[in-house]
Amino acid sequence: MATATAPNDLQGGDAPLSFRKPSGSRTVKNALATVYVTVATVLALIPLVWVLWTVVSKGIGLVLTSTWWLQSQRGITPRREGGGAYHAIVGTLEIGLVCALIAVPLGVLGAIFLVEYARGTKASRVVSFTVDILSGIPSIVAALFVYALVITILGFGRSAIAVSLALVLLMLPVVLRSTEEMLKLVPDSLREASYALGVPKWKTILFVVIPTAFGGISTGVMLGLARVMGETAPLLILVSYAVGINFSPTSSTMASLPTMINSSRDVAPGLPGYDRTWAAALTLIIIVMLLNLVARGIARATKLKEK
Amino acid sequence: MISSRRVRNTTFAALAAMASLSLVACGSDPGGTTAAPGSSGSGSTSANASGLTCPSGKLNAEGSTAQANAITEVIADYQSACNNASTIEYNPTGSGAGIKSFYNNLVDLAGSDSALKTVAVDGVVEADKAKERCGGNPAWNIPMVVGPIAFAYNVDGVDKLVLNAEVLAKIFNGTIKTWNDPAIAKLNSGVTLPGDPITVFFRSDESGTTENATKFLAAAGNGAWTKEPAKAWSGTGEGKNKSSGVAEAVSSTKNSISYMEWSYARDNKLAIAQLDSGSGATELTGDSVGKAVSEATVAGTGNDLALKLNYQPKDAGAYPALLTTYEIVCSKGLDADKTALVKDFLTFFSSPEEQQSLQDLGYAPLPTDLQTKVKTAVAAIS
Repeated sequence: MATATAPNDLQGGDAPLSFRKPSGSRTVKNALATVYVTVATVLALIPLVWVLWTVVSKGIGLVLTSTWWLQSQRGITPRREGGGAYHAIVGTLEIGLVCALIAVPLGVLGAIFLVEYARGTKASRVVSFTVDILSGIPSIVAALFVYALVITILGFGRSAIAVSLALVLLMLPVVLRSTEEMLKLVPDSLREASYALGVPKWKTILFVVIPTAFGGISTGVMLGLARVMGETAPLLILVSYAVGINFSPTSSTMASLPTMINSSRDVAPGLPGYDRTWAAALTLIIIVMLLNLVARGIARATKLKEK
Repeated sequence: MISSRRVRNTTFAALAAMASLSLVACGSDPGGTTAAPGSSGSGSTSANASGLTCPSGKLNAEGSTAQANAITEVIADYQSACNNASTIEYNPTGSGAGIKSFYNNLVDLAGSDSALKTVAVDGVVEADKAKERCGGNPAWNIPMVVGPIAFAYNVDGVDKLVLNAEVLAKIFNGTIKTWNDPAIAKLNSGVTLPGDPITVFFRSDESGTTENATKFLAAAGNGAWTKEPAKAWSGTGEGKNKSSGVAEAVSSTKNSISYMEWSYARDNKLAIAQLDSGSGATELTGDSVGKAVSEATVAGTGNDLALKLNYQPKDAGAYPALLTTYEIVCSKGLDADKTALVKDFLTFFSSPEEQQSLQDLGYAPLPTDLQTKVKTAVAAIS
């Protein structure tokens, strides 16, 4: 490098070092790289914008009406106008909530065990490895496992709670992994300071470690929730679809946005039911986006200040 | 600093909770008594006159996609006729899946395009399994609507295509490979057929439509269709999921053909082949279907109402490719309140007014003498 630039220095005379033009081949490489990176970004954006535009333009009409958010599809057939996605929104939120109620304590406590109590031990490596395997399980496998356990062996019927159980298997690794990473980021000096003041370990975890990592943990939970809310396979197998409102998580079929999209997908273009496919898709996107915004809000609100 | 953070945490939690609560609090089902425009108007007024008891409760039903368009309308009509006293859910997952869910005790009622099998298929005797599910009482096949099977095609510039069962059988088993095959050309003199290969689509899921279509090909195809009619497709082609899947595939693929229930072909605005059973081409219309249905006979005895269709009708104007869709119910053994709801709903379904209203959707009403038999069978459910 130094030898290559030396002749240039002589030729350039007293031109300031920073304004010297790079050699031709470097300019070309730089331009090529810039073009390549820009094209790649644009290519990656095309499907995203395309999908968003299609869904928004085709679904916005129904989503902007109040009946869409307040009424179910009961008594509405693909050939009839009207009704909304209320039953499916309730189902999606309820299934997600029950799933989170089970997965979040398990995941957070598991991560606390791994980081605070079993760091570097064989047990922690085994658990981490198992969680990694769990995170690779396709949703359909989780669904069939719960189907075999809850419906075939235990003899329960279809229910929303069966779906929640299957989704727990998918959400747990996300929550556990992200919580573990967040807890690892908490500086040991904070823990040591707490111990030095005579605070027991459990109080240190509860009042120092967890609050410090709270933003990251909640982001992980929300991302896990957003991931499971769009799942379709477990819903199709374990709870099917219903056009009416069902609040009970333990009995009978329940609607959800993915299964609503799946069932109205069968409707031929031109019938009123066809437009509801797009509106339901847009609703799902909106709900998942809101969850992500809430996660960001929590993360920002709980960010540790420097002073 | 910690306290201010807590405050903000709580604010967020409260906001989120409020948002979800407000959503949960004020939703409802669409108003039950306001009749939707179209087919339901006349149905709901006359239904009340036909003596419904309108019990409350909930039924889960699942099965045939061929009757999905019919039963969802009937359910909507029934619920509004009963001022939403009860809830009935129907999931069109295919006849095979519906029967499985029925004998696995997941649903109360199965919709199927073929009666329960009394012989073993893949080691399972459907009728026995269903009997087991009904606490040892036999499950009944109750015919509800007759639907024509449309052979829909997508060939540029060919608006009118005449086929017969033998040619169809050869197309579907792969013997006839191109549209300008002499066998097709012979039936369509004066029509310019392209030399392109024929793309056949079939139902990849277990389907009663497949079973009925192959029954028709086997019965009327002069021996061209050699496979045993079954819910799983045994011919050539590319599989698509559900009636909507094959209809969508035909509509988006040039030079393709498939079989599907009529209302799907109509909804997707597909061209439908005319059938020639030996005495001239017959277009698929409500009239031609009605003529063929009137030649159907009841094969079973007692309350077993399995219908025997005549695939080679004597009437020149009769459209021969039909399917009967059944509701499969326990003759006994459901809870008392579910039994009451099943009976009331099936009574409504088989009422002449409701049967008539299904004609607009591309179904044919049951013949009058059969409607009486269905009524008797439904009344005998206990």
